[in-house]
Amino acid sequence: MKLNYKIIFHFLGLLLSFNGSFMLLASLMSFFYKDGVTFQIAVAGLIALTLGVLVMLITRSSSKEMGKREGYIVVTFGWLVMALSGTIPYLLTGSIPNFSNAFFETISGYTTTGSTILNDIEILPKGVLFWRSLTHWIGGMGIIVLAIAILPLLGIGGMQLFAAEAPGPSADKLHPRITDTAKRLWLIYFGYTAAETILLSLAGMSFFDAINHSMSTLSTGGFSTKNTSLAFWNEHPIIQYIVMMFMFLAGTNFVLSYFAFKGKVQKIFQDEEFNLYFRFILIFTFIAGVIIYLYTDTNISSVAHPMVWGLAESSFRHALFQVLAIVTTTGFVSADFTLWTPFLLVFFFGIMFLGGSSGSTSGGVKVVRHLLMIKNGFLEFKRTLHPNAILPVRYNKKAISEKIVFNVLAFFILYMLSFIIGALGFSMIGLDFESAIGVAASSLGNVGPALGDFGPTANFYSMPTIGKWWCSFLMLIGRLELFTVLILFTPFFWRNR
Amino acid sequence: MKIIIAGAGEVGFHLAKLLSYESQEITLIDSKKDSLINADSHLDIKVIKGDATSISILNESRVQSTALFIAVTSSETTNITACVLAKQLGAKQTIARISNTEFIDMKEEVGFTRFGIDELISPESLAASEIELLLNQSVFNDTYAFEDGALTMLGLNLSRTAKFVGKSIKEAAKLMPEIHFIPIAIQRFGSHLTIIPRGDTILKEGDRVVFMTSEGGDEELCKLTGKVRTDIKNVMILGGGRIGYKTTQGLSDNKFNIKLIEKDKIKAFELADDLPNALVLHGDGRNVELLEEENIQDMDAFISVTGNSETNIMSCLVAKSKGVKKTVALVENIDYFELSHSIGIDTIINKKLLAANSIFRYIRKGEVVAMTRLNSMNAELLEFIVKPTSKICNQLIKNLNFPKSAIIGGIIRNGDGIIALGDFKISSGDRIVVCCLPQSIKKVERFFF
Repeated sequence: MKLNYKIIFHFLGLLLSFNGSFMLLASLMSFFYKDGVTFQIAVAGLIALTLGVLVMLITRSSSKEMGKREGYIVVTFGWLVMALSGTIPYLLTGSIPNFSNAFFETISGYTTTGSTILNDIEILPKGVLFWRSLTHWIGGMGIIVLAIAILPLLGIGGMQLFAAEAPGPSADKLHPRITDTAKRLWLIYFGYTAAETILLSLAGMSFFDAINHSMSTLSTGGFSTKNTSLAFWNEHPIIQYIVMMFMFLAGTNFVLSYFAFKGKVQKIFQDEEFNLYFRFILIFTFIAGVIIYLYTDTNISSVAHPMVWGLAESSFRHALFQVLAIVTTTGFVSADFTLWTPFLLVFFFGIMFLGGSSGSTSGGVKVVRHLLMIKNGFLEFKRTLHPNAILPVRYNKKAISEKIVFNVLAFFILYMLSFIIGALGFSMIGLDFESAIGVAASSLGNVGPALGDFGPTANFYSMPTIGKWWCSFLMLIGRLELFTVLILFTPFFWRNR
Repeated sequence: MKIIIAGAGEVGFHLAKLLSYESQEITLIDSKKDSLINADSHLDIKVIKGDATSISILNESRVQSTALFIAVTSSETTNITACVLAKQLGAKQTIARISNTEFIDMKEEVGFTRFGIDELISPESLAASEIELLLNQSVFNDTYAFEDGALTMLGLNLSRTAKFVGKSIKEAAKLMPEIHFIPIAIQRFGSHLTIIPRGDTILKEGDRVVFMTSEGGDEELCKLTGKVRTDIKNVMILGGGRIGYKTTQGLSDNKFNIKLIEKDKIKAFELADDLPNALVLHGDGRNVELLEEENIQDMDAFISVTGNSETNIMSCLVAKSKGVKKTVALVENIDYFELSHSIGIDTIINKKLLAANSIFRYIRKGEVVAMTRLNSMNAELLEFIVKPTSKICNQLIKNLNFPKSAIIGGIIRNGDGIIALGDFKISSGDRIVVCCLPQSIKKVERFFF
């Protein structure tokens, strides 16, 4: 079998020109706010657009045959091309002159991680800040397509189970109905973003901050236009509650949102993953809230903790905010959770591995995989008692084939292995234990804030260059569900057959 | 009444036999010569060799003047096609034997009557409901309640502890001053002949006796027969075919703990998917080690419904030897019936007989108020309402010249059940429950019209 390179390049060209158009949108924003970098961003946009269109023109005669292998390559290199071209506005405007830093910032954007190397975010021109948030939003769009259409097709980590629509008989070809589903879900994604922007504006945020934070929330990214992230609005609980609500929605399967809009509310409450996701958040918030209320001294934090509505409300608000920010892998910061007692430090580190729902824009392991693994674990006890019994794992009342359970288990093992190797990598370049494991878990899960030197109030500027690239790699494999990227490193992928 | 039966297999043959007792005009159609010759020589019926879906054959059998067309060949599609054709050609009513139980569940939605099938009979689901019925009773092998329990029919096996073993019915009656029950049918140990008891019939150990009881009679019966009530909870089912699946589905909604053993791994997975409340095991039921590993000795009932009669009988014997109280085996071969009874399997299920009996009951429906059949016995229970014009009205029971192969089990007057003896006077409006052998149904009916 020979790879159809033409179609691969055709798709990459398409993505590039797509990215260029978004840059032009950012330059429009820059023009509107008269921040003085309109021209540079527009040039960046034109470069990407022309290059993309050129590649598309050259490869326009490609055959439409697109197999699984091409799919893997397009997904991985698509993200890379987006990240590479996304650095142009930063470099041309001189906002982030260093290429490694710029690449870190863009890949952190497209993978919806939200880690930043910027020491002072607020001095950046508005157009660049808008572009920065836009990278999140584009990444989120990509993830929706990836989650609902491409991953199920490629059969990665048990994701075939959660496909919005079951792939047709020819699972080797990318499905034409993908565009249909994707369009519907993008509409919801866009609608949520617009709704949040309006609500935040009404609650007192400036329009610019509102739109940036909305894009950042819905993609579960975490870039903020403020140095102190959402803690900037600690005196405005309403704003934080709005953000929390949309973080929750962004961490929910978008297909469920679609059902909700179609009036099938029943379906949402029957969904096992949603139920568990909801319960996890409630339980974790309760635990964190009680501990913050009783044991935490908020004065030691560098983040201001004005208690507008009293200590109890503030404790539970910050508990809910941080639990949502970490579980949905958004990574907004309302308070420094690393200073909330040693127990909560380990607790938040632990929930970095949880992740949101499948079919959402969140990263991490995802609730559904945990659900299947927990169920399988319990059944394993029963299986030892009844060695001949057929005890399938059930999800949404259907028995799951062993193959999918193995897929999920393999995913989890690979995830933990990547985490350990990732942490080892950081320790090799001199990070202390807490920072190393924190950064590895945070990057792999696309969370954003890590622990130690790279905690919620710090940034990644001080990370050695090699560490930034290692971070970028972990973010990319974590975002693309490991297998998609790692399969490119296997010899049998490239073997001619 | 003119009846055409398509398919001279065991169901068709048995049905033809039952119906020919009533001197109905029966035509049997089958494409196999052997089975037709057999039926022709044993029964008083007309036979036609040919395909039931052939229009010329149907015309030859004068389907246009037939009252009932019954298709019971082994092929579901043949049965459906034949019924549809027969209906279009003028048959008044049609019955098709099917194997896909979905058809029965969705009978109304699909509208089988609209395209010409009046009744669907599935031997598999009949067998499944039969097994469910058996397990829902504990000591008794058979129960049926008339008029919300005013009268109840109960069947049991007589063990040595029963006080009236070795006595005649008359002597046994003296044991109880107030009579709340009366035996209405007996099946002797080791035979499959059903006897309608008379006063001098002697009850023997091992007999399967069916009683008609009025309220409170079941308690007395338990005391007299020395049976202890036990509830069945743990059930092991062998074979995940249609019957096994249906049975498990029906039982697992109730309070039963079910272990279902299936040989085929893929099938076992599908069963596990569909039956979340049952424990599905993958393995060969003939493997005693597997049965022991799954604690067969703790089972209250063992049901073997694989496609192989021999496997079913043997595994039930294994279960019996491990102390399982109740065993049920699916046996296809009617000749094995006698043998399996005598070696100690509690209940034998034959889906073909069930199907034939069920069709037979369908035919009789409308003439009687309620009807049931005695479990694995060749006798029917019928409920009639006495009309002022009935021959039986205002008569003493002993003065009736009631057929010897029939017995009045009880009478319901104003909602109260009465166990009637010879000098009871029947009046208009009484509901009378009669137990009779199939051949005397016609005679019995004449008393009430």
